[in-house]
Amino acid sequence: MTGPAPGAPGAAGAAFTRPDPSREAVLEARGVTVEFDGRRVLDDVSFWVPKGEFVCLCGPNGAGKSTFLKAALGLVSPTRGSVLVLGAATHKAPAGRVGYVPQRKADAARFPAAVVDLIVANLRGSWPLHVGARDRQRARDALARVHGEHLLDRPLSRLSGGEAQRVFLARALVTEPVLLILDEPTAGVDASGRAEFLDLLAALAASDELAAVLVTHNLAAVARCAERIVYLDAGRLVAWGLPGELLGRGSLSALAHAPSARAMPDEE
Amino acid sequence: MNPIAWLAEPFAHPFLVRAMAAGALVAALCATLGVFVVQRGLSYIGDGLAHATFGGIALGLLVGVSTENMIWAALPFTVLVAFGITKVLRRGTLGGDVATGVLSSASFALGVILMGLRPADAPPVNVETVLFGSLLAVSPQDLWVVGAVAAVAGGLVIANWGRLAYLTFDPELAALSGVNVRVFDYLLLSLTAAVIVVAVKTVGVALVSSFMIIPAAAARMLGSSFGRVALIAIVLGVVGSQIGLFLSYHLNVASGATIILTLGALFGAAWPLRRRG
Repeated sequence: MTGPAPGAPGAAGAAFTRPDPSREAVLEARGVTVEFDGRRVLDDVSFWVPKGEFVCLCGPNGAGKSTFLKAALGLVSPTRGSVLVLGAATHKAPAGRVGYVPQRKADAARFPAAVVDLIVANLRGSWPLHVGARDRQRARDALARVHGEHLLDRPLSRLSGGEAQRVFLARALVTEPVLLILDEPTAGVDASGRAEFLDLLAALAASDELAAVLVTHNLAAVARCAERIVYLDAGRLVAWGLPGELLGRGSLSALAHAPSARAMPDEE
Repeated sequence: MNPIAWLAEPFAHPFLVRAMAAGALVAALCATLGVFVVQRGLSYIGDGLAHATFGGIALGLLVGVSTENMIWAALPFTVLVAFGITKVLRRGTLGGDVATGVLSSASFALGVILMGLRPADAPPVNVETVLFGSLLAVSPQDLWVVGAVAAVAGGLVIANWGRLAYLTFDPELAALSGVNVRVFDYLLLSLTAAVIVVAVKTVGVALVSSFMIIPAAAARMLGSSFGRVALIAIVLGVVGSQIGLFLSYHLNVASGATIILTLGALFGAAWPLRRRG
């Protein structure tokens, strides 16, 4: 399948460059509206992500970024509209087609398990009592992609913040997903861990292996990884274009109005 | 008395052999489910559901269920309370401890009121037995019930171990890996409710949560994987129950309380051996 016609989806920013419609759409948001208890959190959001494109989803706190991610992951059902992965509703996509890297999960360190268990759990859809040689090798291969083979048997309690996020990235990659979704993966990670993680993301963005959507407040991450930027504010899509088009206007936060500018801190 | 005779003496009493068998089964079940609830930060759900059981027992007695069969009145009532706690827990507005506190104390209070509403000519009920248990009074029929619950609950936990463990690690990630989190949330708390009802019959409302928390907490300090933690918790629970019963027989003190103190001693012994990091 190929992507939707340019300009067809939604909202603002007709001057921004849309993806080439001849490319295959991996993720497609069609007029996504989400309401909680009558409160509209997302309002008619439409954009699409072609194969191999790395998209940064930006916006101030409360813009609806996390809700959009949950809709894309199938954890929240849109009130109206739909989110499709390779043309199918996300909740119908087979487990593993969408890889997910969450914000740093401090609670994970309290769970008695090794890194290999966490990665194999995502492969099997079930926490392993025993890991066979084949699954162990697949976990090792996934860790190699994030330069973390040495972490294979390390307890989760003994990972630094940066190591933990690399392990979660390996966990997401082990199922060979078509789409990778990352929710502020460097939040709460120290400077060196953040730099290492951004190197990995930049390499993924350059490889064109898979489509990715990165939610971040980190302008350094946007500058290094984004092949396209989607900017939400107050639940609405404000801009969707190339980094040069958006960053060239001074800063991302200048796209929205003053409240957005206050809520778009650069972690670095 | 020679040591062999001293060790063998309790086994000459059928009631004590039944108590040991029931104690071992209840300890193993509570420890298994305790590993999940302690890891999820729901340690006091055992205590809460045990108090809810009292409400179910009182309701059963009020409508004419005999004291021998009160477990069958307590079971559906406690499972319903567990469903209520799960529903509140899943909505995420209030914590599991708040849901447990509200529903269990309300159920216990209901039990107290229902006990008072029983007709004056109704058969007398020893509330102390309900609250503190009577492992030494376990009948052959009780042992069959405990065995049946152990078989069903144990079988369901073993069959669904991987999904329950994944859910315990992180519900969101488990859901994204294809685990039906809603179904397994309800399954876990329903099994916990069923096991607690049986445990109340043997160790009593007041002591049941210790059976659930102490072996799991001690094992959490020693095990390197979730599977090993469960195995260690079961061993500690069973060993603690058997030593506790043995001591209570020879010291002529309350069995339930002695078991809990033995489990506490095992926790203390595990503390210096805890894994760091």
